Amino acid sequence: MKTGYRYGLGLILGLGLGAGAAWHATGKGFADGDVRNGVWSTSLNYGTNSTDPLTRAAVARRGLLALPKTETVYWAATRDSSGAPLDGSCTYRMTGKALDSRWWSVTFYDKAGYLVANKANIWSFSGASLTPAEQSGWQVTIGPNKPESGHWLPSVAGQGFELTLRMYNPGAAFMKDPSAAELPRLVKEACA
Amino acid sequence: MKQWIGPAALALIAATGGYYGGLALSTFGLMEAAVRRIAGDTGLNAMRYGELPTPENQPVVRPSPDLAYSSCPYDLSKGPVLISITPAPGRYSSLSVFDARTDVVFVRNDMDAGGKPFQIALARRGQKVPAGVETVRVDYDRGIALVRLLLKTPSDIKDLDGVRRQSTCKPI
Repeated sequence: MKTGYRYGLGLILGLGLGAGAAWHATGKGFADGDVRNGVWSTSLNYGTNSTDPLTRAAVARRGLLALPKTETVYWAATRDSSGAPLDGSCTYRMTGKALDSRWWSVTFYDKAGYLVANKANIWSFSGASLTPAEQSGWQVTIGPNKPESGHWLPSVAGQGFELTLRMYNPGAAFMKDPSAAELPRLVKEACA
Repeated sequence: MKQWIGPAALALIAATGGYYGGLALSTFGLMEAAVRRIAGDTGLNAMRYGELPTPENQPVVRPSPDLAYSSCPYDLSKGPVLISITPAPGRYSSLSVFDARTDVVFVRNDMDAGGKPFQIALARRGQKVPAGVETVRVDYDRGIALVRLLLKTPSDIKDLDGVRRQSTCKPI
């Protein structure tokens, strides 16, 4: 092989490998944060000029227009408490209490980060849904079938999914140590 | 094998360049795509009062169905832009300004603003702005100013839409 071809091959292979590595590295978005708490993961470095290039690109791809931590903390869950990927054919029980923030919500997305059509037109569960009695303890069923009672966040059978927990204006106590805060728990109950 | 040492070294350098170039391309490219997508409805330097996010309406990835979004895709190449915000009483709302690199160069919520209307001028360095207007200097011409308004239920928008439409964005 001629020298020029060898260098050309090296250049093309190198660029392709580098770009491919960048694409792969940014694919997990919020789910690859450096702060972990139960099934949840986040980074506290979104949206600032000190954000590293990898985090910035990952958020651009999977959570464009995310706010910095002073305004909002975004947690992602892609697996249940046993470590299994979230599966729309399964039923999960999420439990928690009112979170230390001005407002919070849990939103259901497909694996690409988009809202999914469901007959109930319900895509999130928020603190605004809680009764006064539920402030100290709430429960929501995540699954393809509506439960007989209680809150429901519909999934789509046969499709994997992700959850995003948003905490707007998080409290000072929470911000002291987000990894130790009491966040919602997610347990798989059954699969169809 | 010696004849491959040079090409292998070049491949290593190219891979590093490809990696960081890919990250930058993703960041700037996705932001520019969002600017163009939103500007496709109302043009640049104008506020777009978006419909509530649903599976059929998702201008950007991972929208919150609990928020009413108003967005101004801005372009400062011909001069500064004035953004005027009117918070909805008793509701979380915020203005955040994202530059072309996706960094947040300004954010203020309703509580920070004391629940009162406020204005900012978005400008590149060196551009003149009216005296007395709070000015936010940015490093790039294009980006998005985004207003988030919390809805407790989707039907809240009927009562709050009038207030959110008081927030505007226009060239100075």
